[in-house]
Amino acid sequence: MEIIMPKMGDAMTEGKVIRWYKKAGEAVKKGDPLLEIETDKVNLDLEAEQDGTLGDVSAQEGQMVPVGERLATILGAGEKSGAPAKTEPQQRRVIDKKDSIKHTTGEYAEAIEMKAPRIDRTQAQKTNVVAMPQAESSRRRSSPLARKMASSLGVSLEAIQGSGPQGRIVARDVKEFGSGAAAFRPPIGGLKPAAPQQTLEEKSIPLSTMRRTIAKRLAESTGPIPHFYLTVDYDVTNLLSLRQQLNEIEQAKISVNDFVIRAAALAIRHHPNVNASWGDEAIALHGQINIGVAVSTPEGLITPVVRDADQKSLIEIANEVRALAEKAKNRKLRPEEYQSSTFTISNLGAWGIEEFTAIINPPNVAILAIGAATSQPVVIDKQVVIRDRMKVTMSCDHRVVDGAAGAEYLRTLRQYIEQPVRLIV
Amino acid sequence: MAEKSYRDAIRDAMMEEMDRDPNVLIMGEDIGVYEGTFRITAGMLKKYGPKRVIDTPIAEAGMAGTAVGMAMFGLRPVVEMMTMNFAIVAADQILNHAAKVRYFSGGQVDVPMVIRGPQGAGVQLSAQHSQSFESFYAHFPGIKVAAPGTPADAKGLLKTAIRGRDPVIFLESAALYGMKGQVPDDPDFTVPFGQSRVAREGTDVTIVSYSRMLQMSLQAAERLSKEESIEAEVIDLRTLRPLDLEPAIESVRKTHRCVAVQEQWKPFGAAAEIAASLTEAAFDDLDAPVERVTGEDVPMPYARNLELLATPHEEHVIEAVKRVMYRS
Repeated sequence: MEIIMPKMGDAMTEGKVIRWYKKAGEAVKKGDPLLEIETDKVNLDLEAEQDGTLGDVSAQEGQMVPVGERLATILGAGEKSGAPAKTEPQQRRVIDKKDSIKHTTGEYAEAIEMKAPRIDRTQAQKTNVVAMPQAESSRRRSSPLARKMASSLGVSLEAIQGSGPQGRIVARDVKEFGSGAAAFRPPIGGLKPAAPQQTLEEKSIPLSTMRRTIAKRLAESTGPIPHFYLTVDYDVTNLLSLRQQLNEIEQAKISVNDFVIRAAALAIRHHPNVNASWGDEAIALHGQINIGVAVSTPEGLITPVVRDADQKSLIEIANEVRALAEKAKNRKLRPEEYQSSTFTISNLGAWGIEEFTAIINPPNVAILAIGAATSQPVVIDKQVVIRDRMKVTMSCDHRVVDGAAGAEYLRTLRQYIEQPVRLIV
Repeated sequence: MAEKSYRDAIRDAMMEEMDRDPNVLIMGEDIGVYEGTFRITAGMLKKYGPKRVIDTPIAEAGMAGTAVGMAMFGLRPVVEMMTMNFAIVAADQILNHAAKVRYFSGGQVDVPMVIRGPQGAGVQLSAQHSQSFESFYAHFPGIKVAAPGTPADAKGLLKTAIRGRDPVIFLESAALYGMKGQVPDDPDFTVPFGQSRVAREGTDVTIVSYSRMLQMSLQAAERLSKEESIEAEVIDLRTLRPLDLEPAIESVRKTHRCVAVQEQWKPFGAAAEIAASLTEAAFDDLDAPVERVTGEDVPMPYARNLELLATPHEEHVIEAVKRVMYRS
């Protein structure tokens, strides 16, 4: 008798042969699993419906076989191989094979045991049970109140362990998490303070080329460039929580500054006028967003460049910045790695500096000075809550960027910093 | 104030209204000479005579239909159903006539009548005589449904029902007839329809109920306070139509958890209506799904032990409260 590809539901038109348990010529007993097939919903075993010898294995492992087509035959005693290769049209037997089918996809096996006489119903059941686990993995169960509390605390539910039925996150979990949330905050500082020197010596340090260049360029900057400064205070509670989650999930090492780089680059897309250079004849707006990142080296400051930062993911930016900073410290940067920035970010948060002003890195027309994220009591909905805040000061070249333009940019930047999920998409 | 039983409060309400308004009359089976199966109408035939205290044949549809006609022409009949289970026979008169006349007459004709009688389980009256009808009647526009849980409310709500313009289904709990409580003496004391009340204040969970289940919920709340240090706020709905859920919503905004308690079967019951409405109004304030405590989904058994098993008890309310508080 023939073994055909069964129809396991109205929508099924073909199935895949995963593997054969029996070889051609091997003796099989009724009930023996012959092969495993895969449908769009489940994997399942087809069993032998009679004793005999497996023959005419026409479907190879990995092959897609239309419903109703022959997979092999079981030859009874005396029967010969060489049954007609072509089977009759599908209508002939559009599966009534439930009794001979056992599901191999473990957890669903019971739910979709095919005892019911109608295919439609089994199809419906399959759809249900298959869909459920997906929903579970993509969504944490939580009570509406817990969601409301988490959102007003700026806490992500992903970080909270639920204590309710089926892991549901309930109000008390958010409350507990909120009170212990400080423990999750990344420490400020992180850098060891310089050790005190035993004796102070008088000495003259010859100007290195680098120090000369720094001096020249910064003097050029504050001299001819009419600076002005805009300071804002961003809420980074969500950003810190997202960073922690990403680093846990992705096993990555994304710094707060990497978030700022991406946020700054994306915000530039809204305000290309801050991504520009001053010229005596014209203001040049740049076609690329290349973010210079101020890196401190023993020799002094250098700003390696993350090119097209708006088109790179957080992880790409993190990896690139780490590599560039390493090279900078070893003085291995190639010129193209620190030239042609269009916008610069300087971050002294790691030193615990809360707020500072930076000097524009010409020919850029703006620089962001990023302070440390610190926990602050703030008033939300007439209640004092503890939030993480970070001060950002933007220095602008007034010849190109007017006050309102700078303020607009910072407002857009706020959206990216305070709603950091925007940085993931 | 005087201490009165639920039964006497109902009789007082009828007698005060009959004294006040000569158009008020009562009719029903065995209410006159026999003075009522549950003795609600004791002494009334003697006082008001057979024109205003009418013993009817065993014909509920006829009683209700007669009352509809009387009400359309200006009388204010109060019909006693020996139990509300018998009013099923009169459902067409109640739902298709009493409830529709004002609508069909373009607002010209009111039907000020009351159909009152006991319902519910707890007194071993078996499957046909122990049912609860609040969700059945409250489903229909055109009638009002009251379900008092205290003697004072029984009196105040019944007086409002008799004085009103609408057909009212007045559901008394057979198991509460003997219950005593403080009842105002003032002949003009009434309790308005559609005004729920906070029967017990609390902070941790909201229990919404009415009628006999109100009393049970209050007892459960006391035990929760003593045994679990849980302070339950208990809301008494008083009327199911109109249904005032504002105090319940306000309470849930405070407690974030709710248990709705009804005696009738779970499917399509009052508790389902309460749960759905609270979810619509206060979804973001809920920390747990609204739990329903209801009777078992079976015809009411006669045997005492089985009847007890089939009806909701304090234990059920306590368990449900612990579940919504994630304490179980």
